Amino acid sequence: MGNRTPSQTIGPFFHVGLKWEDGEKVQFAGTGERVVLTGCVYDGGGTAIADALVETWQADPSGKVPGAGAAVRAYGYSRAMTGSDGRYTIETLMPGACTGAGGEKYAPQINVTIFARGLLKAVRTRVFLAAADATRDDPLARAAGARAGTLIASQDAKDRSVWRWDVRLQGKDETAFIDF
Amino acid sequence: MSARDAIEIDPPYDFPGYKSTALRAPKQPLIRVAPHPLEIAGPAFSRSFAKESEADLTTWGKSAPLGEKMILVGRVLDEDGKPVRNSLLELWQCNASGRYAHPVDQHNAPLDPNFLGQGKVLTGDNGEYRFVTIKPGAYPWRNHPWAWRPAHIHLSLFGNAYAQRIITQMFFPADPLLPIDPIFNSVPDPEARQRMVCKLDLEQGIEEEALGYRFDIVLRGAKSTPTGV
Ligand SMILES: [Fe+2]
Repeated sequence: MGNRTPSQTIGPFFHVGLKWEDGEKVQFAGTGERVVLTGCVYDGGGTAIADALVETWQADPSGKVPGAGAAVRAYGYSRAMTGSDGRYTIETLMPGACTGAGGEKYAPQINVTIFARGLLKAVRTRVFLAAADATRDDPLARAAGARAGTLIASQDAKDRSVWRWDVRLQGKDETAFIDF
Repeated sequence: MSARDAIEIDPPYDFPGYKSTALRAPKQPLIRVAPHPLEIAGPAFSRSFAKESEADLTTWGKSAPLGEKMILVGRVLDEDGKPVRNSLLELWQCNASGRYAHPVDQHNAPLDPNFLGQGKVLTGDNGEYRFVTIKPGAYPWRNHPWAWRPAHIHLSLFGNAYAQRIITQMFFPADPLLPIDPIFNSVPDPEARQRMVCKLDLEQGIEEEALGYRFDIVLRGAKSTPTGV
């Protein structure tokens, strides 16, 4: 214990080295409800962050951990790079609700890791693709208390397949980040 | 301090010596939670996700890149010393002149048409990996007057569980820029800092062709979460 290699920043020059073909399109073995998760990443001054790497990992539509399969890239995982407007967009399938080893009830959610210049270590959290009242018993929603609202994506009123979720690294309405 | 370490190993978010942390470091405490079932599992990449050619950065161009050719070998282990097998390791770096093949890099140093600086491997049965590359150059940055980054290689690792995911940098021994690099020195523990420095290992090189370096990487272990998962 205690002999880990420390984290360092991803820096500004990762886009070529970490490029994945269609990285923002999540692959699964099966099918399900197609959804898009999109939003912008902002700094403490409200400026869009144009050099963030957003990675997501999620359960399949039945709530199971996506296993190894025929795909070359891992099922259930995505990598997106923010554009000049700070926007990331992930095309995926709606994750199923799942139950933890101790019987905890997890609402439909996507696990998120964000790397950026200026972040010496990643920030990690989970975003809910569910209405606020459907997340009430979720372990993270409970632990986050008043800050849980920063983790709930909003479903577009017109296009119900689109979920919007902005990330604020710092300041007013700072996104609730986690340590697990 | 994170709950799982007896001493802090990772840098803090807020580190005034590295100016870009000022507006990007979260100010609220992290919320401690038991890991979600997905966080103790991890994405499974097929071996074909990393092409064999991606382990040799010197064969990307039409001819060999400029610079000091080097072989980088090492093992990926967890904190309990167990090998991390079949796990994705990605690498990127600037060329021997200190310039990234990247549109944002405006450093007035030449691009090398024979060097992209991107590599990928999956670790073997003992957690081992091997890259062929060239030693990257130092490069200036605008963090403070006379700021130069020591030579470094960026590394991205997945481990076998999402909780092990990490991005770090590898440095070279006896680099005079290390003591004045805010990013390297953002790691509070001097011993932990040295774990980001590779070792010369001549016999891993190629006689009369390439220098050998060794860099072992240690990821979070099985007992390292608050709930012991
Ligand atoms: Fe760099």
